[in-house]
Amino acid sequence: MNVRLVDTIAVSGRSPVHAASPRTKLAVAALAIAAAAVTTNVLVCAAVALTAIAAAVAARVPMRPYLALAGYPAIFAALFAWASAPDLLAGALVVAKAVTAALAVVLVLFTTPYPQVFATIQRVLPGLVGDALFMTYRAIFILGDKLDDLVVAARLRSGAGRHPLRSALATVRALGNLVLYAFDLAEREYDVLALRGYSGRLSVPVRRSAAPLADAALVAGGIACLVAAVAWRVAWRELLPYSWLPPAFTLAVLAAAIAWSAAAKEGAS
Amino acid sequence: MTHIHIPDGVLPVWLWGGGWMLAILALLVADRASRRYETRRRLPLVGIVSALVIVAMSSEVVPIAYHMNLTVLAGALLGPALAVVSAFVVQVVLAALGHGGVTIVGLNTLLTAAEMCLGWALLQGGIRLFGLPRAGRVAAAATVLTLFVTTTLLVGLVALSGVTQATERETGALDPQNLTFASPFSEGVVHVGLFSGGESHEEPPETGGGLGLKRFATVVYTLGSIGWVLEALVTAAIVSYLARVRPSLLVQPRALAPVRPAPAEHHGGA
Repeated sequence: MNVRLVDTIAVSGRSPVHAASPRTKLAVAALAIAAAAVTTNVLVCAAVALTAIAAAVAARVPMRPYLALAGYPAIFAALFAWASAPDLLAGALVVAKAVTAALAVVLVLFTTPYPQVFATIQRVLPGLVGDALFMTYRAIFILGDKLDDLVVAARLRSGAGRHPLRSALATVRALGNLVLYAFDLAEREYDVLALRGYSGRLSVPVRRSAAPLADAALVAGGIACLVAAVAWRVAWRELLPYSWLPPAFTLAVLAAAIAWSAAAKEGAS
Repeated sequence: MTHIHIPDGVLPVWLWGGGWMLAILALLVADRASRRYETRRRLPLVGIVSALVIVAMSSEVVPIAYHMNLTVLAGALLGPALAVVSAFVVQVVLAALGHGGVTIVGLNTLLTAAEMCLGWALLQGGIRLFGLPRAGRVAAAATVLTLFVTTTLLVGLVALSGVTQATERETGALDPQNLTFASPFSEGVVHVGLFSGGESHEEPPETGGGLGLKRFATVVYTLGSIGWVLEALVTAAIVSYLARVRPSLLVQPRALAPVRPAPAEHHGGA
């Protein structure tokens, strides 16, 4: 999981999806998750996933890291499906639900800087929890860098490669050092916060939309996904023969998004 | 097995909804319990320990589909009140990165918090019983025991949800006529000829829920136990290192005895 890459893409992206309101993106992700949760039809679930991918293409998000990160839950979902699903199709649905929800959530993170995501969530959480969210995300970067340095240093000292056990012990010792470093860092961080007037609440204003049309398109896509999922669940007897329609339609949307993205890239260069 | 790797839409609503409600309640209690200055001062530590846990949980041991958790260590460093906050933060960030369903963040918070709190209690109790020099062994035992208990909780949750028969029910469709669920797969996509091109009226094979649960439990306990040993070794090594280098991180300071007013302060007049 390369959090740094996710953050860079979210901050440096210049697409309409990046410019849309963080609240809208979170709401649309919630609609997509609801659609994935409600649906019982693999093809409808695939359609929701394709819609998320189409939005990612329109946002010019690099596909390899996006799909890799969103595909990660598939490993665990596949294990669960293998252990509990009665047949292959039901297992495929379990995996598809996991990947679809992940595609929606990861898209929000790839197109929205994390302070904006957490600022929106912070409004409904107790102060302590909201602040802890901000500090955690920041700490992931600090600790990631520090851990890399410590592991390299520990391996060099223990002669990594030739002595796997010594190397493992050195790595664990590096982790212990990291905990000590983390503790000292936490103490210093609180002092800095207190000096700057921290009084129990980190306040981050939520950015407004800079692309209302993108907001509208995202909301329309999210609602369409949920409506399709509910319709195919409630009236499945009547709609089952037409299950191919949602993925066919979203494939067309995906093709349009690819064409639009390519045109925008050419225009930019 | 610090959290459920079950996607959204598989567990019944009452279960994940109840999980969210209990998690919010636990967070409110933790928030209230953390209002003292000394606890607030440890807030950055919550962020940093949570980040440590997230980094550990994001590194998967591929052949056994297990990832490190470091939850016992986190519980030992944070104590029970802040552990609840940390558990929630970890699960929100992991869900935001696509690791685990969003709807089950509540249940996952409860499981992770239980793991942290139980780990904290066992480690504290063990260190008091056997002393700080044996902190590493105590941590290893505490980790294995904690992970066994939370894995059992996880299997219990899946059993409670009935998700194994379920997959039939939850992958079925809501029938508006009688508000019951029926499986579209029993007639299925195959039935309408989308894949096979023909119609068939074969009865679906009977799938016992108990069989599914048994298989799920077997997988979780078998693969999980290898992970518990790995986790116990790593936690033990870190804890014994901390016990040597900075024991104050592991041993909770005893509550100060109430200060008695000095005799000179009594100016009681008759």
